[in-house]
Amino acid sequence: MEQQQNSFWASKKKQDKMVSLVLYLIAWTGALIFVIPLVWMVSTSLKYPTDIFTTPPKWLPISNIQWKADSTVRSQQAGYVKLAKGANGTQVIYLMSSTKRTAKVVDTMKLSGAAKLNVEKGVYVKEGDIVAELPKTGVARVNGNIIMITDKDGNIIDTIETPPNSKIKVNTGDRVNENDRVAVIPPQWHNYMEAWSPKALSETFTTYLLNTIFITVCGLLGTMLSSAFVAYGFSRFKFPYRDQLFLVMVSTMMIPAQVTMIPTFILFKYIGWIDTFAPLIVPTFFGGGAFNIFLMRQFFMTIPYELDDAAKIDGCNYFQIFWLILMPLVKPALVTIAIFGFVYNWNDFMNPLIYLNSSSKYTLALGLQTFTTMYGSYYHLMMAASTIVLLPILIVFFFGQKYFIEGVATSGLKG
Amino acid sequence: MSTNPASVRHKTGSHEAAWGYVFISPWILGMILFVGGPIIASLVLAFCKWDLLTPIQFVGLDNFAQMFGDKKFWISLGNTFYYTIFAVPLGIVGSILVALLMNQEWKSVRLLRTIYYLPSVTAGVASAIIWMWLFNPDFGLINYGLSMMGIKGPLWLADEAWSKPALVVMSLWGVGGNMIIYLAGLQGVPRQLYEAAEIDGAGLWHKFRHVTIPMLTPVIFFNLIMSIVWSFQIFTQVYTMTGGQGGPADSTLVLVLYIYHFAFKYHHMGYACALAWALFLVIMIFTFMQFKIAGGWVHYEGELKK
Repeated sequence: MEQQQNSFWASKKKQDKMVSLVLYLIAWTGALIFVIPLVWMVSTSLKYPTDIFTTPPKWLPISNIQWKADSTVRSQQAGYVKLAKGANGTQVIYLMSSTKRTAKVVDTMKLSGAAKLNVEKGVYVKEGDIVAELPKTGVARVNGNIIMITDKDGNIIDTIETPPNSKIKVNTGDRVNENDRVAVIPPQWHNYMEAWSPKALSETFTTYLLNTIFITVCGLLGTMLSSAFVAYGFSRFKFPYRDQLFLVMVSTMMIPAQVTMIPTFILFKYIGWIDTFAPLIVPTFFGGGAFNIFLMRQFFMTIPYELDDAAKIDGCNYFQIFWLILMPLVKPALVTIAIFGFVYNWNDFMNPLIYLNSSSKYTLALGLQTFTTMYGSYYHLMMAASTIVLLPILIVFFFGQKYFIEGVATSGLKG
Repeated sequence: MSTNPASVRHKTGSHEAAWGYVFISPWILGMILFVGGPIIASLVLAFCKWDLLTPIQFVGLDNFAQMFGDKKFWISLGNTFYYTIFAVPLGIVGSILVALLMNQEWKSVRLLRTIYYLPSVTAGVASAIIWMWLFNPDFGLINYGLSMMGIKGPLWLADEAWSKPALVVMSLWGVGGNMIIYLAGLQGVPRQLYEAAEIDGAGLWHKFRHVTIPMLTPVIFFNLIMSIVWSFQIFTQVYTMTGGQGGPADSTLVLVLYIYHFAFKYHHMGYACALAWALFLVIMIFTFMQFKIAGGWVHYEGELKK
């Protein structure tokens, strides 16, 4: 890929340092934008539900739970008997004498020991006045995932219920101030468990994964064997109409699948193959697709014919030449085909959608789509499920990127 | 070296020819069973009415007549055009620009290429789901990014005016696949051409306009044809993002989704085949037009104009 000095940006003159720096920054900014969706997927998949819908968004799937002391208890509406509720559950009853906006407190009653009354009998209050206040510091009392904050007499100021698997950062007896971090919500790995075995669906991703692996492995076997077989024929033999047939084959790449899809479906329906894996596997044994034959044929052309001739003299027949002599030599092309075929099968949606009806036969793509119809608003689970589906592809990609890039570059086609 | 060794080394014996046919026979069979046969069957079905239960009925041009009066067909054709007209040129320009940017000698260029290429292998249901989340009007990253620039983002997939632009934006995430093709093309441009241009005092723009682009045109041409063929077949993203409906208000009802509805939901096989042929015809017209106008802009080596 990067053989010679590149020539567009600078050939003779040294490339301008400034230009180079600007381009470098642009390239990395773009790359950042390109990875964000994937990073965001993984980050969301590990979040606690309440951390998903936030503005600004939280980048990391770790969040602090602070004690948001809401200490003021305000008068709400003047009336005869009013109950002012503090946000933390503190209640102050105050009685007023008038229905006007300003009213006289005729009596008070304290329901929570921690609140300090700001008003007393006889004073006038208006709507919005602070009638009571809670302390902004307290002592923590931890009970499981519940943190209670009390004053020094043991009266409860606030109760914080943390998510079940969060890490409590305070101990019983610790002093806690307003806005102190009391707990941390760690990455929610169990989201993956939940997504893997969704309660609303009858199947788990184990089923989808096994089905997909089965279809992919069989499909790859068919594709690799038959495309090499056919490419061997196209590259090593001379027969009437060979070049015309080859041209026909290449031009079939331009036929939209939808034209052949419906009669093919009817054909498989009559054979009784609907809701089986056969329609997804069997066709791959018939050439394995124009793209793959093309790629294999290009590769066969690079292998010297002397090898065939030598083998022939040694008494090999054409099958033996193909299988024993040439197949080991075209391994790199086979790997390229395998990798593209893997990605194609893994991502394929339309064929499984058409041919598979029962959910026990679903592939990952189909299972994932069904998942979204049930869990459309549970983004943490949708992202976890998407990560599950994408992870194998990402792994294959990182190990085989050389083959991807060479495959695309030599064929001029993307997968 | 340049002639096909097969034609030099091997005699055109009927024996050898027979073996050639043996080896390509799987493809020939597949061609008959899964390509040629179905194409003919599909053409026949396009003139029939069939729900797979009752006997086939020949109806002549009824399906095509129905199609002309079918408002939803025109909507779906329009949506497919809209998507193609924006996604293909933007995708090509984008991938050429990224390829130019990646045609560098930085140490990190390999990593950068990997990053740009990566999204194109994730195409499918999962990436559609990721984008549903990115396009979320209230908490999605895209509208958050826009709000940082002081723009109030649209409702994207929930707004019929913005659902198609959303699909186009999403398609641009996959420019890495084409980038690799252009990168290979760029690296095949002979250095001397750039050097000659520089001697003539050409700046970056002139080199780009008069050397890079002309040398890339054969690649662009091929890529353009295939991109159009593929973009006319957009389906999975739309199906996933709209639950198979093509909403809101049919704004993302693309042709293939419409074909899918008739073939596999309503079992109107004849009409579905007619629709599929309409799609094929549109693709063929586009491809043919491109071949027609190709002579005007596609340069092959040796005829580089200055």
